[in-house]
Amino acid sequence: MALAVAGVLAVFLVYTAVGGSEPLLEPSNLAGHTGKVSLTGKVVGHVQKSGGTLRFKLHNIQGASGLVPVVYRGAVPDLFKTGREVNLDGHLDGSTFVSTSMTTKCPSKYTASPSSSA
Amino acid sequence: MADLGRAALAVSFGLALYAACAGTYAALEKRRRLADSARNALVACFFSTLVAAAVLAHALVEHNFSFVYVYQHTSRDLSTVYSLTAFWGGQEGSLLLWLLVLTAYGALVVMLNRRLLRDLIVWVVPVMGAIATFFSFILVAVASPFKTQTPPLDGLGLVPSLQNPYMVAHPPMLYLGYVGLTVPFAFAVAAMISGHTDERWIVATRRWTLGAWMFLGFGQILGAHWAYIEVGWGGYYGWDPVENAALMPWLAATAFLHSVMIQERKGMLRVWNMILVALAYELAVFGDFITRSGIVNSIHSFAQSSIGGWFLGFLIVTTLFSITLIIWRLPLLKARTKLESALSREATFLYNNLLLVALCLAILWGVLFPILTAEFLGQARTIGRPYYDFFLHVFGLPLLLLMGIGPLIAWRRSSVRALLKSLRWPIGAALVAGAALIAAGAGSSHPGLIAYTFSAFVLTTIVVELVRGTRATGSLMLLIGRNRRRYGGYIVHAAVVLLAIGIAGSSAYQTNVERTLKPGQTAKVDGYTLTYKKLETIPTVTESGKQVETRALLGLGGRAKGTLATSLINSTLLGPSHAVGIRTDWLRAQDLYVILEQQNANGSIIFQILVKPLVNLVWLAGFVFLGGSLVALWPDAAEQRRLVARLALARG
Amino acid sequence: MTALVLGAIVAVAAVVLVSLPFLTGTDDDLDVPDEAAERRLELMDARDRALAALKEIEFDHETGKIDDVDYRRLVGPLRRAAAEALQAIDRLAEEDLT
Repeated sequence: MALAVAGVLAVFLVYTAVGGSEPLLEPSNLAGHTGKVSLTGKVVGHVQKSGGTLRFKLHNIQGASGLVPVVYRGAVPDLFKTGREVNLDGHLDGSTFVSTSMTTKCPSKYTASPSSSA
Repeated sequence: MADLGRAALAVSFGLALYAACAGTYAALEKRRRLADSARNALVACFFSTLVAAAVLAHALVEHNFSFVYVYQHTSRDLSTVYSLTAFWGGQEGSLLLWLLVLTAYGALVVMLNRRLLRDLIVWVVPVMGAIATFFSFILVAVASPFKTQTPPLDGLGLVPSLQNPYMVAHPPMLYLGYVGLTVPFAFAVAAMISGHTDERWIVATRRWTLGAWMFLGFGQILGAHWAYIEVGWGGYYGWDPVENAALMPWLAATAFLHSVMIQERKGMLRVWNMILVALAYELAVFGDFITRSGIVNSIHSFAQSSIGGWFLGFLIVTTLFSITLIIWRLPLLKARTKLESALSREATFLYNNLLLVALCLAILWGVLFPILTAEFLGQARTIGRPYYDFFLHVFGLPLLLLMGIGPLIAWRRSSVRALLKSLRWPIGAALVAGAALIAAGAGSSHPGLIAYTFSAFVLTTIVVELVRGTRATGSLMLLIGRNRRRYGGYIVHAAVVLLAIGIAGSSAYQTNVERTLKPGQTAKVDGYTLTYKKLETIPTVTESGKQVETRALLGLGGRAKGTLATSLINSTLLGPSHAVGIRTDWLRAQDLYVILEQQNANGSIIFQILVKPLVNLVWLAGFVFLGGSLVALWPDAAEQRRLVARLALARG
Repeated sequence: MTALVLGAIVAVAAVVLVSLPFLTGTDDDLDVPDEAAERRLELMDARDRALAALKEIEFDHETGKIDDVDYRRLVGPLRRAAAEALQAIDRLAEEDLT
């Protein structure tokens, strides 16, 4: 029985290491990462809306360093605005981060689930 | 008044500490008066915590902004109901709620069992006292709800998304669940320390565990419905760490509820049950820890609140303590009997346990992955939906199947012949259902098809069981009344099946499209026709400032008639939010779900249109689950009398 | 002012509740079941378990979950176990009388 459990555990490790995960980054350490990543940061400055595209800048949630321009296409999740903490799935294209999937964190420090759209 | 609150909490802390220390001494030295005194202290602790809670509640209702907490979570124009709800809207208040529920459970359980289980209660008191000591310490020294300030003119108010009935019900219900798992844990620890590791502690805590599990389960469905209606992304579960935080202890508790039946009948799996109950409790605390500290949302959250550190410490100490206890008592806990046959109900329970725990650990791994990778690889990596869905299928679908097979297998040993005879109807039903489903196009999703077929199998099993039982007993009511645990369990299984069908339908077979419509244009989606009629702009001023609601009206045709409104609300303070339009087709149990995504400059609107088949079965499942749990929970006066008589007889 | 009064009441009530056991009576016997009572409880548990298992197997047989062959095979050992448990309780009762 213990072997079965250990075997199952091994399956997780292999599965997640190989395919399932992607790096969780902040604007300050985004540079150099190719491929799909998950970026978390705070929206700063003015948000430009044109057509179905949002353009804004992101910096670290804490420490306010690293400024990354973001181009986002897709459904805008609830509570998105300047100053909100967001999480974006996408990739780095040159020096701009391109994304089609975003979630926002609830403003209160202790609340239930965040709002999201994908 | 804040002084009273602080004082009451300090008294709670003192009483809890006394209950822990005096209780331990009394148990070791076998001193009745001291043990009773410690027990009274635990009860008094509830009352002093209640006073503190009343102080906070009063301040909230009165909008007394000299309380920092009241200032942070209410405002002058907040209604009374939501001002009270703000009690658990923040860190300190929710901790106070935790302590209140904990001391309430503690007081109730020790008073109700004070004569029947003295040998266990004498240890349960110090264990619950110790846990209450931790939480009251946090409230007194680290996160006090009674910080004061010179009162500003108005408070910050409660976030609008929290001002709904769900916020009133969802957190307290979850707490009744999380905290309720402390009871079986405390009894398990008491059983191990006292050396009375037989089934008595399990029988004593069975209803408490069932109750906590029921609240935790229903609380999660409430939360899912809240997300579906309010948050408006078309889904109800996102495998978010906070959601998983409640699911993991629930899975562990489900495994525990099943495996104790084996211990009660065969005296087996005692070590496993101890591990399970400790796991369920630790996961409940861990769940609370994740939700509070925010550690898994952002790897830097540790710095945000020192409370995370305290919770982590508590988690480590209690886990090490439990492990040490189990190792110490291993000789007492070792099984005296073996599994008789791989084809027995004991065996199916064992398989069900392995699957439940495996799923629980898979989710835990997913939750911890970002933290572990950050620590050991230097770079945090996050795990997405596909991982969780994969393991939900791998472990969940066999579990679904087992739910059907288990009830049909007898205890101890079943012959293949007898089993196949029992399985005739369910297998037949599954095959028929499968064929019909494939003909109806359900073959587009393999996991969905499997889920549906297995569900048909399980539902038939339950019906067969009910029919057989009613034939033997004469009436369905009598049958259920005499075997509340078993048939309550079957009703819960039916609820899980409904849940599985609802989840399969609304995820595997949903339609999700984007359509851009100008006024007058029509979109045809899955049998529905939607015509964009007109746009309304509604400016309002709420407590969170100005907001403008842009409401689109759609005319419906085809499967549904009438109009549907869907809105995009832009608040100057908070940003955009959606008020989605949902049209429920009760006959088909499906929803037409429309999100107003974007207004274009040329007057057209991008709508996201979802058709979610069978989604309403998920909510129905919640109620069936509640009903089944209540049936299983229902107190049995005869059983209680028997236990009392037995104790008297044993005393001579 | 009310806060002070209420606070005093809470503190006093707590002290009273905690010292109550010491103020009423001097019997300090923890009244946990002693060895003999424990033994009797264990035997009663074994008896109850055996009887419950018998009841269950009867019900399963009646509802057709266990067929006649399996029933005959399983009921024997269970009846023996129940009988043994009852006998053990009787034996213990006799020992206590002597």
